[in-house]
Amino acid sequence: MGRKELLHRLGQMLVTLIGVTILTFGLTYIAPGDAVDAILETGDTLVSAEVVEQTRHELGLDQPFHIQYLNWLTGLLHGDMGISYSAKMPVVDRMLLGAPGTLALTGIAIVMMLVVSVPAGIAAAVYRNSFIDYLSRVLSFLGVSMPSFWVGLLMLYIFGLKLGMFPISGGEVDLRHMVLPAATLSVVMISKFTRQVRTAVLEELGKDYVTGAQARGIPMNKILWHHVLPNACLPLVTLLGTYIGWLLGGVAVVEMVFAWPGLGFMAVRAIMTRDFPLLMGFVLWIAIAYMVINLIVDASYYILNPRLKKRGGE
Amino acid sequence: MELSNKVKKSVMAGMAVTMAATMLVGCGGGDKGGAKGDSKVLKVGVTNFADTLEPTQNFFAWVVMRYGMGETLAKFDEKMNAKPWLAESWKIADDHLTWTFKIRDNVKFSNGKPLTAEAVKQSIERVFAKQNRAKTFFEYESIEAKGQELIIKTKKPVPNLPGQLADPLWLIVDVSAEKEGRDFAKQGPICTGPYVCESFTRDKCVLTKNPNYWDGEVPYEKVEVPSIDDPNTRAMALQSGEVDMAVNIAAGDIGLFRNNDKFHVDEIASLRTVLARINQKPDHILSDKKVRDAFISACDRKNYNEVLLKGTFKEGSAPVPPSLDYGFDQLKDPNKYNVERANKLLDEAGWKDTNGDGIRDKDGKPLTLDFVVYNSRAELPLYAEAVQADAKKVGIDVKVKSVDYNIIDKMGINGEFDLLISNITTAATGDPQSYLNQYWHSNIDGSNPQNGSGYSNPEVDAKLDALNSEFDKDKRRQLIIEIQQIYLNDAAGLFLGYPYTNIVSSKKITNAIMHPADYYWITKDIKPAK
Repeated sequence: MGRKELLHRLGQMLVTLIGVTILTFGLTYIAPGDAVDAILETGDTLVSAEVVEQTRHELGLDQPFHIQYLNWLTGLLHGDMGISYSAKMPVVDRMLLGAPGTLALTGIAIVMMLVVSVPAGIAAAVYRNSFIDYLSRVLSFLGVSMPSFWVGLLMLYIFGLKLGMFPISGGEVDLRHMVLPAATLSVVMISKFTRQVRTAVLEELGKDYVTGAQARGIPMNKILWHHVLPNACLPLVTLLGTYIGWLLGGVAVVEMVFAWPGLGFMAVRAIMTRDFPLLMGFVLWIAIAYMVINLIVDASYYILNPRLKKRGGE
Repeated sequence: MELSNKVKKSVMAGMAVTMAATMLVGCGGGDKGGAKGDSKVLKVGVTNFADTLEPTQNFFAWVVMRYGMGETLAKFDEKMNAKPWLAESWKIADDHLTWTFKIRDNVKFSNGKPLTAEAVKQSIERVFAKQNRAKTFFEYESIEAKGQELIIKTKKPVPNLPGQLADPLWLIVDVSAEKEGRDFAKQGPICTGPYVCESFTRDKCVLTKNPNYWDGEVPYEKVEVPSIDDPNTRAMALQSGEVDMAVNIAAGDIGLFRNNDKFHVDEIASLRTVLARINQKPDHILSDKKVRDAFISACDRKNYNEVLLKGTFKEGSAPVPPSLDYGFDQLKDPNKYNVERANKLLDEAGWKDTNGDGIRDKDGKPLTLDFVVYNSRAELPLYAEAVQADAKKVGIDVKVKSVDYNIIDKMGINGEFDLLISNITTAATGDPQSYLNQYWHSNIDGSNPQNGSGYSNPEVDAKLDALNSEFDKDKRRQLIIEIQQIYLNDAAGLFLGYPYTNIVSSKKITNAIMHPADYYWITKDIKPAK
């Protein structure tokens, strides 16, 4: 990737970011109710209208849309994302509380997925229509069909309550607490990714260069590991990128079931409480995460597919 | 395509490694339930909503109190009477404005500093400086500290000041500790309770024994409080022994613990009422009292609470729940479930089904009502749908309108409803005075904006005004009973039910009790069982 293209990409990212923030800010603004109702619990507590108005004024929520947005943007450019209304602490601090959990869970879940899916997918492709292939197909369907909160509860019931292998109550980021939520997430991802690995490998196996290599007497083993797999990687890397992006956004349902401190549940609460500053911080994080991942995925094409490098260098 | 044995072998080897790795990860550090039988550490499963422990922010003070850190001048007993706690006594002067609280002289903050009236004064002033809600409890002319005597002069008569000051917002903190650098939000405030914060995040709080506790021996060296938001997971953590007690086990799970000799279930009716406000402004159908009476009579509230909600709610009738001593049993509900009467009243009011579509109509207008509900409390849509089904049986078409929690307040004020449901705390300060005023005191030119339903009864206003300045406890009780009876007679609202709350504990510990005031979860009384 040349310098010119990199600059071009960065410019695109900036425009996208501004668009994303305006859109999110606008949607939250037109959504009925505001943070004051959530903070003071006006729906089911006795609070006087005077207190509600005073609080609204203090938070600046009585100002028009563009002023609120510009205030936020000015703050952001000074490195200040504001104070979360619901958490009553700087947005960055609140997000840093959830970030380790989300990053750790993402890492472990992706590793679990790769460790299972890649060999299983290759096996299913290599032994197409064999018992292994059918078994992986059935398990994949099963895995995709089960909702993750249910898988999570099932795992807690079996491995936590019945076998006592893992803690149930969560709340801490360490390996012991991480295994079950990561396994729960990887069940769905494994189910999808295995099928995708199988398809990608099958497609490559059917190509002429494989037949050619075989004709030249190159052992199948070598063809598979040296030629087929690197080529099959291209589409898989793209998919991997979207999975990582999805996980980095936090997975509210799984976090809730396992009492896991991550960003997903935080984001859901931010939406419920109309906590603009926190929500905006989260949206920025997601947008940047996706863009960086896409950039890395694109860059990886140049490494995986040398032909692109040649063209790009011209 | 022929595949060599080598390929097969390498694929198989890959799979074997995978399996082994998964198994290894799966076995990492197995430990069967931590809390079993530990007499030094208490573990409590809760749902926590606070992100910091700064008691003046949002409703975070509730958490500081629930976890056994904070204490107030007065504490509610099981009938919500304010009893001495950090204050050993109080009295009110004849001007009905000047209160004198005698602060106990044997109390120390957890940092060893003595609790003086001056410290209490600073703590109360701190709340006023930091939280808008403070003035909804009372407003003061002056606060004075003389030794252990705290003299508060209020702007208006506040009959229930000790009860107001028993709200968690008013828990007493050592203001000087903050000046010396303690970060209350992150490290927890310095208070007088049996436990002190060691570490806190939204997901887990660890507390240690307060070495300077004033009221007897503190039973545990350490208390761990994980927040387990999912009710199924919370129940499992209790079953496995990972926590010794859990707060609010859900309806679906509580059966696991009842009649189980390893657990103790403590369940009580809370201070909440599920209330459907009824819009009786002139342009609304329910302005006709006969239709209101008919509507309420058509609702089989016993069935909703006992069958639909599996007995996790108590059948509703009066405005104030039975957990408070305000004549619940002596009040007469004229609109008890009676379908025949409902039909008769609707006929009398001129609503008849002329076109045979099953819905009554009058002057070409169908008997259709908008029922506004929000979903963040799971029981509310269930109530609304049950009411809808019952109303249909007498020819009333109820349209359930589901809205976001955050706009309920506004819709209530603007009167954008025929019926509007909420699950409301009736007596956070031990007394239903504000609750009875807020929704039903006449709203004349915006004098009481919260009353968006148009209800107005001069007799009620007179009694409410008398209540607002009455200091005599028995007279207050009598007034509250009379006011409630008028609400029932006027069909001023539909009181659907009262939620039960619970604490379920392992029999390895004792005295884990749920109080009607939802403020006292972890107390000095919870001990290892002998």
